[in-house]
Amino acid sequence: MSQGDSNPAAVPHAAEDIQGDDRWMSQHNRFVLDCKDKEPDVLFVGDSMVQLLQQYEIWRELFSPLHALNFGIGGDTTAHVLWRLKNGELENIKPKVIVVWVGTNNHENTAEEVAGGIEAIVRLINTRQPQAKVIVLSLLPRGEKPNPLRQKNAKVNQLLKASLPKLASVQLLDVSGGFVHSDGAISCHDMFDFLHLTGGGYAKICKPLHELIMQLLEETPEEKQAALA
Amino acid sequence: MSDGDRNPAAAPRPLADVQGDGRWLALHHRFIADSKDKEPEVVFIGDALVQLLQQFEIWRELFSPLHALNFGLGGDGTQHVLWRLQQGEMQHIWPKIVVVWVGTNNHGHTAEQVAGGIEAIVRLLQEQQPQARVVVLGLLPRGQGPNPLRERNRRVNELLQARLPRLPNACFLDADPGFVHSDGAISHHDMYDYLHLTRHGYARLCPRLHALLLRLLGECQGAGP
Repeated sequence: MSQGDSNPAAVPHAAEDIQGDDRWMSQHNRFVLDCKDKEPDVLFVGDSMVQLLQQYEIWRELFSPLHALNFGIGGDTTAHVLWRLKNGELENIKPKVIVVWVGTNNHENTAEEVAGGIEAIVRLINTRQPQAKVIVLSLLPRGEKPNPLRQKNAKVNQLLKASLPKLASVQLLDVSGGFVHSDGAISCHDMFDFLHLTGGGYAKICKPLHELIMQLLEETPEEKQAALA
Repeated sequence: MSDGDRNPAAAPRPLADVQGDGRWLALHHRFIADSKDKEPEVVFIGDALVQLLQQFEIWRELFSPLHALNFGLGGDGTQHVLWRLQQGEMQHIWPKIVVVWVGTNNHGHTAEQVAGGIEAIVRLLQEQQPQARVVVLGLLPRGQGPNPLRERNRRVNELLQARLPRLPNACFLDADPGFVHSDGAISHHDMYDYLHLTRHGYARLCPRLHALLLRLLGECQGAGP
């Protein structure tokens, strides 16, 4: 809370409707309604990396069976996700695992600020959803060839590796390996626009992610007992 | 070309690299390089609605068999597609059909300007690809409820419907299967963010386009040597 004054990436901020069709708010409202209707065990929240995941078959194969909800919105920064989580997207639900994947769109912020924004999200989740185990996904490299954003995203990951262990119930899952080839290039087969993942690209990261989620779900004290009775 | 002075939607313009990783230009160059040894019969060019189509199974089912290439770039407006074409994005290929689907991202432009931008694309294609039929897809409605962009897109389609028949080898297809429900709402089952299509949305839209492409390709064959 105190960090918010000095770190814009950690200040909750609703997206402005610049285009004129209010789609960001419409999506947020839909997610708030989902929280009232549904009982997810797993919640994914973040930017288009989260949102697009649900468009591929792999979501239905690996995550739907886990009663997962997807609260990704394309273009979102840490500030947008913070606002959404504070304004209804954590109400009426009690997920066991929350996956957070955001930060690559924080163009106005330094790596330190972005890491701080992600930490603020984790702390908010710890407060509102103390039972939830949080998985923070590392930012991926981007762009066809080496460029400043790759360094920035790598720096964010490095900072999180150091800071997240100090927070409760959270771990960083580093899925950023395997995308940059020996010549420094990223392939269209993994990221169709050198940012967003193809089905093949998602398969690479979803394997370790799914494994970790399953592990965390198994660790959770049960409610299972009550259901069996 | 002269249009550009008065109509920003018809003035070729690259997308500025504001983010800092040069992705747009990299993709433009990749489209050129990758097409060097290909002989597509159909080329799709436009914005994210074109680009994302290739990520779904339906592309492989319906369009790969037609030897199609996908030159979609998310975020593109008409002025960006114009620039890419002018810079020779299709210099290595001679398709029978070019499908153009762009205009919904032309923020700040009027419907007349957007239609003018699309027409400029059609005219440039007629110069560069005189053998090709050009199919212009209508802009889809967007947003969860009624809003000014739906009205603007509808008006663009109206203008194109009237004007395109006057251009040789060009035709207009409104492929909207009825995404707007009777209560004025668009469902997230069709457009996950009320703009971009889901697999289900594409499955509703693509058959009409596919049927038109088959018909046009059949006509090309009929007219052959």
